[in-house]
Amino acid sequence: MRTGRNFRPVAGSPRLLEVARAERRELWTEAVGDLPPVYGERWTDLEDRRYRIFEPARSKLAAAVVRGWTGDLPAPGERWLYLGAASGTTASHIADLVGPEGRVYAVERSVRPFARLLSLSERWPNLRPVLGDARDPLAYAALVPPAAGVYADIAQADQLEIVLRNAELLLRGDGARVLVALKTASMGRHRSATGHRESAEATLANEVALYPSVTLEPFHRGHFMLGGRWGRASKVPARDPSRPTTPLGRRPGRRAR
Amino acid sequence: MRPTLVVGNGPALFLSGTDPVRLLGPFPLDSDPKQAATRFESMGRSDVPTRLLSALESLPAGASLVASPPRLARAISECVGRPVGTPTLEDLRRGRRAVPLPEAAVERRFFLALGHLRLERALRAPEEVLITLAREEERVERSVGREARAADSFVSVPDSPLDLHLAAWDRARGALGDLEEALRRTVEKEAKTQVPNLSALVGPRVAARLVAAAGGVGALARMPASRIQLLGSRRRPSPDRGPRFGVIYRADRLVDVPIGRRGAYARTLAALAAIAVRVDVHGHRDISAELVARRDRRVEALRRRRR
Repeated sequence: MRTGRNFRPVAGSPRLLEVARAERRELWTEAVGDLPPVYGERWTDLEDRRYRIFEPARSKLAAAVVRGWTGDLPAPGERWLYLGAASGTTASHIADLVGPEGRVYAVERSVRPFARLLSLSERWPNLRPVLGDARDPLAYAALVPPAAGVYADIAQADQLEIVLRNAELLLRGDGARVLVALKTASMGRHRSATGHRESAEATLANEVALYPSVTLEPFHRGHFMLGGRWGRASKVPARDPSRPTTPLGRRPGRRAR
Repeated sequence: MRPTLVVGNGPALFLSGTDPVRLLGPFPLDSDPKQAATRFESMGRSDVPTRLLSALESLPAGASLVASPPRLARAISECVGRPVGTPTLEDLRRGRRAVPLPEAAVERRFFLALGHLRLERALRAPEEVLITLAREEERVERSVGREARAADSFVSVPDSPLDLHLAAWDRARGALGDLEEALRRTVEKEAKTQVPNLSALVGPRVAARLVAAAGGVGALARMPASRIQLLGSRRRPSPDRGPRFGVIYRADRLVDVPIGRRGAYARTLAALAAIAVRVDVHGHRDISAELVARRDRRVEALRRRRR
């Protein structure tokens, strides 16, 4: 049992707590479901509430928050569409963030990860699993009500087009959010990681008002978190120079030995 | 005039009319989630609820009718005997916004039932069976090898607890060996039926492992030969010192090729394998005799060739 003196909610996200430790920030989400752990994560009790640790190394959304994400996160009571849920590690945390009144519609195409997502959904009351291909949103449009946001983690070369096709059909309208965990390694070698991020931002900017992007290094190599609010947008906001967005250490384009 | 829209929302169907969107009410497909999921999946002519049809009859005769998803449009079209189109994006968005949310508990039961139904269907597909069994066979083969090596280096003395343990262990290893044998037979049978040409070329077990490593027969058929050659290899491809083999290292006749020329053989074999699997997927002809002949010619050429 912790005293809880060091736990405080992250601004704008009452179900996400942070603890400042000596050298790092620890994130916790308030659990919607019951023990046992979803993927072996630590749990803790705090004043009759149970929290699960939200590790940046396991989840790209946690990495984004640690790397200084300033955009809106999923908020309590909202319905979110999750593309590429895999076995539900990050999906379970987003379900925590939207709380018992919210919903997470989790789309996954692969059979074996979906089997784990399904058994997780049996004990995670606000998670709605869909076995389907995110390339074909019409196939599950009848299942997913208009959503407050879409979170996408799909390692495909055309991941942005997939996200936008889903967003224009399934989001509730202007002001809804788009979050994309961009994996540049899946997008080809013709551009550097930064180049991919910049072109992705330019594509997204046609449809959304962008949040400042963040790099997910060193937790997820070559990944970025992009996002914004749906609606014909203004230009890309100026980047905060104190937050580096290029990958640390590696020069783009050179291969690892 | 805006078309009349039939749109599904989870376990219910809704009818939104013209401007402003009229809601003609929810049409629960079924109260039993499992049945609702089954009907949602098949969505044939008999799955269109009668309440929806009677509501459609009260529409003005000239009203154009659209429905989503497309399967539902086809089913309704069969029932009412006139074309039912698919909505424009704008109509669909408007219709979806007007539709009320299903009750949380109902929706949850429906999603879980639908998830189980789709999962079961996907796992029953012959391709998924082959992938799963090929992976299992690989795993069991590894543990058989590990147990055999451990047993080799185990020292025992007669009439001691060590000896009793060894006897029990032998029985367990025998059972594991039987499991491996049975698994191998099943995998070979599946591979021979699903990818006959590939099985004839590289051997059914390697064929199954190639399919499993690619993630499916269709994915394998779309792969270039250079990727097939390296499927399942552990080392990272790199410009100077990349891997030459993946699961193809265990392919038929590779042992007949001198060691220094096996890389060349792997290239040829991968190229033939690419042809074989494409014919298995798209051509459905038996070209195994030709493939095997070309493979064997290559083996002989490599054996004769001087360094």
